[in-house]
Amino acid sequence: MIEARNVMKTYGSGDNVVHALRGVSLSINAGEVTALMGPSGSGKTTLISILGGILSATSGSVRIDGREIVGLAEGELPALRRDLFGFIFQGFNLFPALTAAENVSVMCQLKHVPEPKKRALELLRMVGLEDKARTHPSDLSGGQKQRVAIARALAGEPRILLADEPTAALDSVSGRTVLEILSGLAREKGRAVIIVTHDPRVLEYCDRIVHIADGRVESDSYRTVEEVA
Amino acid sequence: MNSVQYMTLIAWKNLFHDKVRLVVTLTGIVFALVLISVQFGMFLGFLDTSANIIAHNDADLWITAPGIPHVNGGSPILEKKRWQALQVQGVETVVGYSVFFLNWKLPNGAFETCQIVGFDLDAGLGAPWDVVEGDVSALRAEDTVFIDVLYKRKLGVEKIGDALELNGKRVRVAGFTKGIRSFTTAPYVFTSLKNSQTYIRMRPDETIFLLVKTTGDVVSAQKALREVVPGVEVFTKREMLDRTQAYWVFGTGAGTTTLMGAVLGLLVGIVVVAQTIYAATIDHLKEFGTLKAMGATNGMIYRVILTQAGLAAVMGYALGISIALVVVNATAETDLLIKLPPEIAAGVFGMTLAMCMSASLLSIRKATTIDPAMVFRG
Repeated sequence: MIEARNVMKTYGSGDNVVHALRGVSLSINAGEVTALMGPSGSGKTTLISILGGILSATSGSVRIDGREIVGLAEGELPALRRDLFGFIFQGFNLFPALTAAENVSVMCQLKHVPEPKKRALELLRMVGLEDKARTHPSDLSGGQKQRVAIARALAGEPRILLADEPTAALDSVSGRTVLEILSGLAREKGRAVIIVTHDPRVLEYCDRIVHIADGRVESDSYRTVEEVA
Repeated sequence: MNSVQYMTLIAWKNLFHDKVRLVVTLTGIVFALVLISVQFGMFLGFLDTSANIIAHNDADLWITAPGIPHVNGGSPILEKKRWQALQVQGVETVVGYSVFFLNWKLPNGAFETCQIVGFDLDAGLGAPWDVVEGDVSALRAEDTVFIDVLYKRKLGVEKIGDALELNGKRVRVAGFTKGIRSFTTAPYVFTSLKNSQTYIRMRPDETIFLLVKTTGDVVSAQKALREVVPGVEVFTKREMLDRTQAYWVFGTGAGTTTLMGAVLGLLVGIVVVAQTIYAATIDHLKEFGTLKAMGATNGMIYRVILTQAGLAAVMGYALGISIALVVVNATAETDLLIKLPPEIAAGVFGMTLAMCMSASLLSIRKATTIDPAMVFRG
């Protein structure tokens, strides 16, 4: 689904050059939950930004279903993100002025989903928040906010979900609920789920763990059937 | 609802979500708008009051003593020049007309300065307008005058028939106008030409101005009069108007001051609005970044920011122009004229919109140069 080959990313120039990624190669498959782990500053966020078409790689190749996205014109990227990706953020990034249903509707509108309000309610029902449709984010708990964010990410029917520290701001119960939803989307709906995390709780829901350090893939391993069980 | 309408909805909701910020933004816009409208209205009022006796006078040409700076600064010329002027081809009527500063004695013995305006009752050129009480023909009596109701208190007058003293001679009020303001502190007092000669203590063969009505070709008549009538200047109505307005409005600094006030209002408005709209965008920067990550184009982000600015402009304008109209109405019964005609109100709306939109350009630049990775920070 995603094939990243020798992806490099540098910031600055001359003596001030910073190598955020130093030749990362990685394959992401549909139906899998992949955890990207590593210390702060290791390049996880840069990698997820490049895989998600938010940031351009300095060199290398990122192919999604065979289509090269490195070097795409700036104007082509919004449609790419809209069509392929759903984003889930550590800080939820909900629009505080909009209700839960309206937050989900935004993505439906961007994707021109027919009957966006109805679709938003369906998605909120799916994450167990139908009764909070008219509630503003400020009146939701952290777990509820993240579930709204997941509903929003799913509104565009994305094939790839990119989640950045989705449980970092949540208690253990809310965290588990969110992870169950994400792993369910991979296993039951065949979506590729990539989770950037420091949270060891996440690991038990992942099929694969990729460690990043100093802009390189340090290790890439699938969990065993026993571990998953 | 399409995505354009939805972006508008987001803008609307963003604007109303933080009510304190909305109030601060609107206060900035309203403050600037009221300042601009009132200052510019005063400027228009100055233009009007400084030359209203010319604007409402149907004379095509004004014959004056040489070198007069404005209509209120005339000096006597011989009335016999009237006969010389009447011989010029294209001249239909020539009549005398006086404008002169005199002392008006109040009932308590104090003095106020006024400007007597003497006009030819038969020709009617330079007669008072907007008469609300009395008949202009009453000015045929030898001691009668018309004053404006706005200056009743200033001149110590209550009603028709009140008798006072003008330049040492008895004067009776025969009627009232409403809204004939003077640019100076000296109100206009209308009377017949003959009476004005008496009050000014001019010789019967003198007048301050000669007003000319032409048969049609004003410029040719002006040229011919300059050649035929010696020792005078001949101005068209427009030239007299411009000369007088230039003297009072710009020569005294009053117009420049009010225009400066309007410009300052505009600058303060731009700064305040730019600051608040910029701050509002910075507050929503993460949301704009999220929208971009979700696949919104820069155009959609522009639309949200510009719509927010546009909505703030419309609301600010509605409030600001309402307050400005209250101020205008409050001065309707005073000697200060503030004009806010519909075309100026429409112009102020366009300016408000431009002010808010240009203020939002700074924040648009900020929103479109968001570091994409910021959306992944907690």
